[in-house]
Amino acid sequence: MLRAARQQERAVSTRQSWSVVVFSVGGMKLAAKAEDVGGISAWGINVPVPSRTPFVGSLVKRDKDVLPVYDLAARLDRQALTDSSLCLVARHVDGPMAICIDGEIPSLHTVDTSEVRPGRGHAIETVGSFTRDGVDIDIVALRRLGQP
Amino acid sequence: MGLRGHFKAAATNVQTVSLLVVRYGARYCALPSDEVRGVLTKEQAGQGQTVNWVGITYQQVNLAAQLSTKLDLTSPELRVVLFSNGHSHGAIYVDEVAGLIDADRRECKPLPPHFRCEERMWVAGTISFENELAIILNPEWVLGEIGAEASLPSSVVTGRSLAA
Repeated sequence: MLRAARQQERAVSTRQSWSVVVFSVGGMKLAAKAEDVGGISAWGINVPVPSRTPFVGSLVKRDKDVLPVYDLAARLDRQALTDSSLCLVARHVDGPMAICIDGEIPSLHTVDTSEVRPGRGHAIETVGSFTRDGVDIDIVALRRLGQP
Repeated sequence: MGLRGHFKAAATNVQTVSLLVVRYGARYCALPSDEVRGVLTKEQAGQGQTVNWVGITYQQVNLAAQLSTKLDLTSPELRVVLFSNGHSHGAIYVDEVAGLIDADRRECKPLPPHFRCEERMWVAGTISFENELAIILNPEWVLGEIGAEASLPSSVVTGRSLAA
């Protein structure tokens, strides 16, 4: 009986879940691991930079920092909803990076890893997808977004 | 290492850079002032594709197009910046010369590593200017010695003389 209880305890402790932030870009629901999100704030003023790097063509000031902007809406071929947009700071491997997201306040969810399926191939870097309220949501791999 | 050596190293690290900040619409750019040979009004610059000033001929440089923006020909503050690195001489039309600043080099922030292509040779970095962000341009790119026009989605000035 004691062994059974221990096994059950182990099973519970090895069960893993992810905290994910659900947000939207151009009306499309997306998610990111909460640990990959450095913060969310009001969108600042875009400063365009002449650039040939795909989807990286501007900077935005955030407090004393200057962040590169990744145009996720363009990458997904969506029209950004510009009314009261928000700035999601991605903890990218190259350093913090700003992403313009829709003004709808992002929500925090817990996803059991057993719910996570391989990505649906939206041609963006993902760590998988899950379903909430009947909607399939890709979990964007913010750390390696746009990496060659 | 003694304190004397330490002090010397610290003192030589403090350097300033002089930048001429120019504006196109709401966008600010900074040009190294060592290359600036003069600032003229459009009347002083005259008509035509070149500007002759103190024995040097400056070719018109369409920096607005290089930045994928437009020159505001109606701007009352429109100026012509005479810019030269010794090899190339350019006359750059800007909406306004916003200011000349002497900045500590540490205030100049490099372009983030997320920018991975030719733009790293075009843009030296950024600097804050009166609560705005100015991008510091490489003189060789401004003068067309390296790179080509960026392909940004916004429209560029075409078919009109900048000196009009």
